[in-house]
This record gives sequence, structure tokens and C-alpha cells, in this order.
Amino acid sequence: MSQQEHIGPSTEELVVEAREALRDRTRRRAARLGDHFKREWQIYVLLLPTILWFALFLYKPMYGLQIAFKDYSIFRGIDGSPWIGFEHFRTLFENDQFLRAIRNTVIISFFTLLFGFPAPIILALMFNEILNQTYKRAAQTIVYLPHFISTVIIAGIVITAFSPSAGIVNTVLEWLGMDPVYFLTKPEWFRPIFIGSGIWQEAGFQSIVYLAAIAGVNPSLYESAVVDGASRWQMVWKVTLPSILPTIIIMLIIRIGNLLEVGFELIILLYQPATYETADVINTFIYRQGLQQGQYDLAAAAGLFNAVVAFVLVMTANTISKRVSRTSLW
Amino acid sequence: MTRKNTTRFGRETMRKSTLSAAFLATTMLAQPGFADEHLRIVEEPLELTVHFHWPRNQGYEEDYPVEQAAREMTGIHLKDATAGRNTPDHNEAMNLLLAQGDLPDIVGGNRIKDPVNQYGPEGAFLPLGDLIAEHAPNIQAVLDAKPELRDAMASWDGNIYYVPYLPDGEFGRAWFVRQDWLDALGLERPDTVEDLYQVLVAFRDQDPNGNGEQDEIPIFLRHWEELIRFVTLWDGRSTGSDTYHDFYVDNGEVKHPYATEGYREGIKNIAKWYEEGLIDPEVFTRGTSAREYLLSENLGGITHDWFASTAGYNESLQEKVPGFDFAPMLPPESISGTRIEEHRRTPLKPDGWAISYANENPVETIKYFDFWFTEEGRRLSNFGVEGEHYELVDGEPVFTDAVLTADQPVNSQMWEIGAGIPRGYYMDYAYELQWTSDAAREGIELYEQNDLLIDQFLGVSLNEEEQAVYDRYWPSIQTYMLERQQAWILGTGDIEADWDEYMAQLDKRGLSDVLEVMNSAYERQYDS
Amino acid sequence: MSGVSLERIVKRYGALEVVHGIDLEIAPKEFVVLVGPSGCGKSTTLRMIAGLEEISGGTCRIGDRVVNRVAPKDRDVAMVFQNYALYPHLSVADNIAFGLRIRRTPKAEIASSVEEVAGILGLTPYLDRRPADLSGGQRQRVAMGRAIVRHPEVFLFDEPLSNLDAKLRTQMRAEIKRLHKRLGVTSVYVTHDQVEAMTLADRIVVMRDGRIEQIGTPMELFNDPVNTFVAGFIGSPPMNQFEAVVEAGERGPVAVANGARIALPALESLRHAQGRKVIIGIRPEHASIEPMPGASTVPVELDLIETLGSEALLHSSIGEVPFVIKAETGGDTAHLARVEAFHVAPERIKVFDHDTGRVLGAARMGVAA
Repeated sequence: MSQQEHIGPSTEELVVEAREALRDRTRRRAARLGDHFKREWQIYVLLLPTILWFALFLYKPMYGLQIAFKDYSIFRGIDGSPWIGFEHFRTLFENDQFLRAIRNTVIISFFTLLFGFPAPIILALMFNEILNQTYKRAAQTIVYLPHFISTVIIAGIVITAFSPSAGIVNTVLEWLGMDPVYFLTKPEWFRPIFIGSGIWQEAGFQSIVYLAAIAGVNPSLYESAVVDGASRWQMVWKVTLPSILPTIIIMLIIRIGNLLEVGFELIILLYQPATYETADVINTFIYRQGLQQGQYDLAAAAGLFNAVVAFVLVMTANTISKRVSRTSLW
Repeated sequence: MTRKNTTRFGRETMRKSTLSAAFLATTMLAQPGFADEHLRIVEEPLELTVHFHWPRNQGYEEDYPVEQAAREMTGIHLKDATAGRNTPDHNEAMNLLLAQGDLPDIVGGNRIKDPVNQYGPEGAFLPLGDLIAEHAPNIQAVLDAKPELRDAMASWDGNIYYVPYLPDGEFGRAWFVRQDWLDALGLERPDTVEDLYQVLVAFRDQDPNGNGEQDEIPIFLRHWEELIRFVTLWDGRSTGSDTYHDFYVDNGEVKHPYATEGYREGIKNIAKWYEEGLIDPEVFTRGTSAREYLLSENLGGITHDWFASTAGYNESLQEKVPGFDFAPMLPPESISGTRIEEHRRTPLKPDGWAISYANENPVETIKYFDFWFTEEGRRLSNFGVEGEHYELVDGEPVFTDAVLTADQPVNSQMWEIGAGIPRGYYMDYAYELQWTSDAAREGIELYEQNDLLIDQFLGVSLNEEEQAVYDRYWPSIQTYMLERQQAWILGTGDIEADWDEYMAQLDKRGLSDVLEVMNSAYERQYDS
Repeated sequence: MSGVSLERIVKRYGALEVVHGIDLEIAPKEFVVLVGPSGCGKSTTLRMIAGLEEISGGTCRIGDRVVNRVAPKDRDVAMVFQNYALYPHLSVADNIAFGLRIRRTPKAEIASSVEEVAGILGLTPYLDRRPADLSGGQRQRVAMGRAIVRHPEVFLFDEPLSNLDAKLRTQMRAEIKRLHKRLGVTSVYVTHDQVEAMTLADRIVVMRDGRIEQIGTPMELFNDPVNTFVAGFIGSPPMNQFEAVVEAGERGPVAVANGARIALPALESLRHAQGRKVIIGIRPEHASIEPMPGASTVPVELDLIETLGSEALLHSSIGEVPFVIKAETGGDTAHLARVEAFHVAPERIKVFDHDTGRVLGAARMGVAA
């Protein structure tokens, strides 16, 4: 060892040197950062409202999530309520109705995705093939309209449409010589009706983003395909669809992130105790169990569970998408 | 008329004076100048802040004529400090208020009983028992007259934390039948379950509306929960209070109606009637427009609904449906021969107001609360301002013609001037009787002549442990009960086959635990 | 191979006519370049040949076939687009094979065709890549590969090099030229760059405002522009043009401009033209800094010397009129700074009518081949 000491700097010396270098670098970096701020402060001022918005409306409320682990009393406040660990989660997972709600949420979400996701894409592709501009605009307006109708009215329309006596659906069934069905009390019909009415309401509006994507496709891709001899169908299939694929994938990832956010207002308006079996989702369960009964801590626990599952889903979807299609949210 | 035994003279005088004497005194003393002063609580005007959230208006307006009059009489000014004015949900508003911690002097409005009884023992609200005894003779008189109300108002710690809105009048919903249909088919009003069944079958089959089609709907309801009320025909119960699916009290014991034999029998028969087409096949989804639609289309036969509004169709549909006669009828006798009307107006609303811990003038405040239970205060809160909205005729308040003939219903007019709003006050049924139609009045008389009413379950206040048990089990029990209930009625399940399994499930889901805490709370609250 | 024939081709958008009756005969295997400033109708004409634009009037033939009403895919043409029009989601091989797949060519045939084309274009190592992973030049080659692989009768190029940088452009120009030599397919090429036109074309078609100004080989256009427009468009740097008045000199007509006297060629139309206003055109290459026998000497004032290496551009002026001289440097620019005049032989001078801009004298008009 003594030999080595003569040959080069000692370990301590090296450490000191390294520390100094590090301190130097940090100082330099800090100075650079300071310069940077001085130079670009206007940009940071512009950013400020957004940061504040996020902090105030998205991050600050997260503080309240802790009530999922507390025996929460509104009057005692979040800090004044005692911790009880995973008690609420235990209560939830011991409840067969919560487990059923999870199952229903997953099933409804899955089928909503399966049928509801392609619908606006197909619609956009169809709109794109309409050549008459007046007709196209009229058709688009008509399919956008349901989006702007309040959920309560939508529920009213659905209930009327499926009514056994006056509903259009049963009227058609009767023409076809079939017996009327009291659809809204049949568990087996709830999901198709709910998912279908969701598509009816939103597909048109959601198609806007795809129409925008289609409008952004380089026209020479079509011209090239025309010269190559592609038919309209082939152009849709081989040019339009692949060109808007990144948009489709981004929308899909976002949708998967919201997968468990089943539009529960409509469910509450449409379901009956008779259809809870297939209709009761996590959010309606929370609504009945938590908000109506004032059990905010339990509702927060269920909501947190929902959010964690959604987070895992969107992460997974994003990773898969990044690997498979090189398109991703981040 | 005995209910008017409240006066401004305090307990001493009240005990001695007869009602007519009190009236005489009021009329004599209601002179300008003196009348303005004798109700005064404070010399210098005192401002009290108030949270007042209710369905029609999420706040308390300082320019209500009623508030102006009350200011003049008492010297106390209410200043609006309502939280959550932008949400129609009173629960949300209350939570907002409690969460912000900074409570106004008075917390009032719609459905404050539960939060007040829950957070009162935690220190958010002042217990009112002693304050009332010392400073609020008129409120005390009412509590003395109706001790069961005091029990029902109380929190689990035995204190009362709010002064309630006490409704007056007894009957709410009643049975209605198309008398003209009965006449057309030559039938009598049904008096027993069997009669009722025959009438319903006749309505279904014999084309009482005469359009040549079998499109009649014998039983229709605006709220499907009313259908469950029919189990009373088989000696079952659907609820014990004016809330659907609530517990009820049987011989001093809290029970749930959906776990009783009468219910089993009732649902079995309702399911049979549903199957036979005697009940609106769309009863679960037709919603609140059912009555309007089925009556005006001349399709509906029998319903169970509010006296006043239902009787009103006799007038409004006379042109559209010639000969229309929708008559109130007595509830048919049950299979055991008892005749009850399960629904009645609750004598105690969960609405009213309370004094918060932040209030620095609790005595003045309780005196102010008491003001609304005085003769003048009660009239003010029921009829509005004298000379403007009502006149005293023979000592009785009578609405002015302007109020009675206005396009708006009288209750809506009252809400706009600050009368009839859910403050702690005592409703006077005379207020409603003045604008109730003759048909409804006849019905009410018919009901009054028969002893139809049964005791109400006015609720219990659970302590923390009891509440925890209730919260843990009850929501899922109720969900399960309602699921089975609809399945049986719709015919996707058979109650006879399912009953044992159903009862076992209820037990498994903790019904006995819930009943245990309900009963312990009930004993604590009502037996003391 | 087929030729292409345009007869009185017209394009109208509503009431607006943008191409006014073009006549053009393109021989089989010929490489014709349409050149002109933007908005001159050259791309529209190309797209009408391709079938991407409807032909409003006149007749378009490919080979012997009138194709006015024939769908693009049945015209047997292939087109290369300015922005390559590659499908971003397909590999190079799939992009090249796209047209064949659409036509349901047998798989084995597609594979061998793609391989062959990739070999020709030097794309073999990149067949599995996506367009996003290629350089601009490689993308351009893929775009050409898509055209070549179908063995069409006619290639149509729509400004294919304008998205490339200067160096790549030069390189690709040469490649296109080589390719045309090798494949011998009739080609119509649209560009606004006269250098591309000069280097690639068998014949150049100069267009302006929806009309053809001149058709001819590059050298014909260079040497004998029919008007001031073509003279100014072809050649780099462009021909110097300035106004002058014709006077009679001792040995023939003389142009007087800003005090300089320049001997003009002995054109018939200038014989009795004293006092006539004309436009004089002198190419920078033809203005010599060395005195020559029989040449006029024009004094100039030197503003700026742009050195290009073996050559230099002398930016100067005759009085107020700017004038560019292209001179050999001989490896040194010092002597150029002392230039005070240039010399020009009369036969090198173009004389244009002052009002119509048309060339005077024996300059041949472009004739369709």
C-alpha cells in the first residue's frame, strides 16, 4: 500500500477531488440554470397558470385520498380522523356485491371498448367517403347531436324506445310477429342496451378526431394509390386506416385508461334492482354504498382501487403499444 | 283545534288559558305599536348568519317579505351564509359547510337531522334541551304535548340538536279508483282483497273505457315502490316511515318489513297479479309521468297517490275524458280483515335548524327559534305577511284572493316570500286546506272517519359503533332485498321456492346485526 | 414503349382556365421536361396525363389510345411524387410492392421484381426498413422503385427532387438520367429548376401562364431562345437583358445603351431599324474580359466578384443597368478586380423586340419533333 501512496494520489485525495469536482459541477449547473431562468423567464411565467391549475385541482385533492385509509368524519376533518389501514379495502373485498360490481365493470368496459371503440372510426371512414359536401355536413351534424343531449334525456329516450307498450323496438318486434320484451328489467338485455345507447350518443362526436386525422393524410398517398390502381375500398384499407393508426392507438390508450370509468350516470338512470346483477358497476356501487349513505371513506377506497386498476391498465397498454406499434402516449 | 295551544304568554298562562281566550287576547293585543314590541328579543338589531340549503332555493334571501316582517317583530336579522349554493344536493352542501369548519350561527334547511345528530355530539352543534326549557316556552309546549317527537328528534347521546319543521295534517297518499269505470261495469267499490281482484280483472277484460281494445291498465303507479305498499293487503308492510324500504316497529321491536311472512305472502300475490296483467307491465320504468299519461289517455284504473294532486285530475281532465271520476276510496280490507293506510304525513321532518358551536348569542337565537312557534310567528311562517298575503277573518287567517287565484300554486307562492320553507316551524294544516280541491277534501274526510293510521317509525339516532355496524351491512342487504323483490314480481324468481335461501342470505349479510343495533338505539331513544 | 400526345389540352376550374390548349408530342423513350415558374400549369398538365385531373378539353393519347376517360390505373403510367408518397406503415419492400399487390400479381413474381428493382436502385440493404428510417435520397429512390417495378409505358415525375438538398439533388439527377438510359421508358418530368431541365431532358418544354413558350433540346433553348422569357429562364446565371436603341454603325447595326455602343449581328430585321427600341441579350458566358477581334468593347463598373473556383461571376453595371460577366479565374482573382470593360462578338448577341419580347432575326422557333 505504501508504494501505491507514492505512485499516485491517495484514496482520500481522490475522494476529495471527486467531491470538489462534483461541487464545482453542481455550482456550474446551478449557475447555468439561473442564467437559463433569467433568460427565459417569460416562458416560465406563461407556464405558471397551468402548473397552478394542476397543483390546485389535481395534486392538492390527492391529499384527500388518504381518507381511504382512515375512519373519516367530515367534522373532524382529514387530519383529525384516525388511521385504520386497509380496513375499508377489506370491507369492500368481503362484499360479494363489490366483487360483482368489479366483474360487471370489467365486462361492460370490455364490450364498450370492443364495440364502442371501432364505431367512431367506421363512422369517420364512412363520412370521408361522402362526396356531396352538403349531405356530409348534414349527416355529421345529425350524428353529433346526441352528444349534446343531457344524460337524463338520453335515459328518457332509451326507456321510451324500449318500452313494451309504446317503444319503437317492441313495435318492430310485434310487426315481426314476436312477443314484446320488457327489456329494461331483463338482466341479459341491460348490457347491450347500455353499450348500444352509449355508442349512439358518442360515436358521432368521437368521430371528429378521426375525421381530423383523415384530413391530415397526405393527399399524394391517395393519388399514388390511384395511379397504382387501388380501389376505394383498398384505399380505405391500405391508405386511410394505416395512416390514422397512430391516432387510433393514442385514442385506444386513452380509452383503456378510462376503461373502468363507466358512464355511471346513465346506469343509475337505466338500472333497476332487477338488473343490478348485470348493471351494477363500481361507480354505481360507490354511489349507493358511499355517497348515499355518507360513507366517504369507503367510497374513497373503492375509487382508489378503481384508479389503481385504471393506472395499471393504461401503463400496460402504453408499453404494449410502444413495443408493437412505436406509438405511445409518453 | 287543540293544537293551537301555544301563546306568547309563556307556560304559566298557557296552562290556564283556554284556546278561545288565547285567541281573544291575540286579537286584542295585535294593535300597532304594542304588537310590534311584545315579540322583540333584542333592543339593538342583532345579525345572525345562517346556512339554509333547501330544494327550491339554495339559500336564505334577506328580502323575503316574511324575513322582513320577522326582523321588525324580533329585531333579529338573518344573514345568508349558505355553503354550496351552486349545488342542488343538500348533502353535498352540508358536507361543504362542515368541511370548511367555519360554521355560521345557524345551520338549517333540508334534511339536517342526520348530520346535526351525528356532529352535534362531536361538538359542532349546541344541545338545545336546556336552552329550550329556559328560553323557548312555545317550543317546550309542543315537545311536552308530543313527547314521542322529542324522542324521535334526539341524538344517540339523548340531546336534541335541532328545532324541527313539524308538518300538520295526517293523510298523504290514498287509494283512488275510476268510479266512472265501476259504474260503467256495474261494480261496487272494492272493499276486500277479493273484491279488488274482481274489479281489476273486470277492468282488464271488460273494456271499461269503451274503446273496444283491451288496453286498460288496472293498477298504475308513479313510483314503483308504491306497488310494494300493496303487501299491506296481505298483512305485510313495505315501510315504517315516509321513506321507502324503511324499518318499522312491531310491538316495540324494530323489524324490517322485507323479512316478514306478510311480505312473503304479499309479494307472492303481487307477482301473480303482475303475471296476470293486473299491474302496469311497465311499472318499473314508466316513472313520474305515469299518472298524467295513463289518466289523460283514459287507460289507468286504480292508483295509490297523494290526495290533493291526484284529485286535481277530476277537474283538469273533464274535457279530455268526459265523465272522468277518479274517486278516493278506502283501502280494501286485508285478508285478516284489517284496514290500514300505511302512508301518512310524518309528524316530524328531518328539516329545521340548529345552533352551531360558533354562535355567540345562543339565548337570543333560541328565543328567535321560539318566535316561529308563537301565534304570530306560526302564522307568518304558514301564511306570509298579514294584510299582504292573508287577512284575519274571525281570528282565522285566510289567504287573500290574489294568492288563491294566482296562476302559481299557493305553496310555490309561499316559498317565494319565505313562508313554508324548511325552517324550524309548525305547519298549520289550515293553510293547505284552503286550496285543497273539494274532491280531495271529501276523501280526506272519508279517511278521517275511519281509523286507518298506524304508528310511524320516526327513526333512531345511532351512536358511532352502531353506525359502523349499520354502514357495514345495511347497504348490501338493501341492495339484495330490492334485487330479489323485483325478480319475484317480474317472475324471474319464485318467492316460495327462494324464501328460505333469501332469509339465509339476509342473515349471512348481517341483518340480525343491523336489527340488533337498531333495537338497542330504539330502546335508548324511546324508552327513556 | 409508347409515346404521349397532347392535342389542344385545356384545363378549367369552373370559369377559370389554367391550361390553354397545349399541343405536345412526346416520342417513345423520350425524356421530356416541363419547366416553368410555379403556377405555369406544368404540374396540372402532368396530372392530366396521369389521370389525377380531369381533362377539360382536347385529347390526350398514350400510345395510340385516347385516355381522356380512362381511369389512372388503366393508363399504364407510374408517377413519382414530390413528397415521395411513401406509406409510412410499410417497409421499403412493401412500399415497392404496393402497386403489384393491388394488381394481385403472384407472390413469387412480386418478390423477384422487388429484388430486381432494389438492386437497380441500391436499396437491397434497406428493404426491411420503414420510410421514417431512410434518408431523403433513399426515400426518393424507393418512390422511384415503386414506379419502376410496375414496368409502365410512361413515367411521370412531379418535382421529385425539390425536397432534397443541393448535393443530393445533383446526385439523384444523375441517377435518374442513368436509369432512363438503362430502362428507356418514356418520361415526363416536371420541375421549376432549369438546371434539372437542362441536365435531364432530351427536350425541354418551357411553360408560362398555361401556355408553351418554347420546345426544344437544351442546347436549342440555350442558344436560340425564342423570347426574353425563355432567355431569362434557361441558363445560369441567366442571360443579361437591357434596353437599347438601334443605330446604324460603320459595319452594320449598333445598339446604344447608356452611352455604350455594341455592334449587333447583321440581321435582316435590323437593317433599316435606326431608332428602334430593342432588348439586347448577352449571356454571361459570352461576355469576355479579353479583347477579341471584331468584338465590341463595353465599359462597365465592377461591383462585386463572386468566386466559384475555376470561374467567377463579375457583378457589374453598364451605367444603371446591372450586368453579370462569367470569367475564367485561372486560379487567381486579382486580375479580375481590374476589369473595366467586357468584349462581346456580334454573333453572340440576341436582339429581342422591345414590346413583344420575341427574338429578332434567324432564331428558329421551337418545332415539335
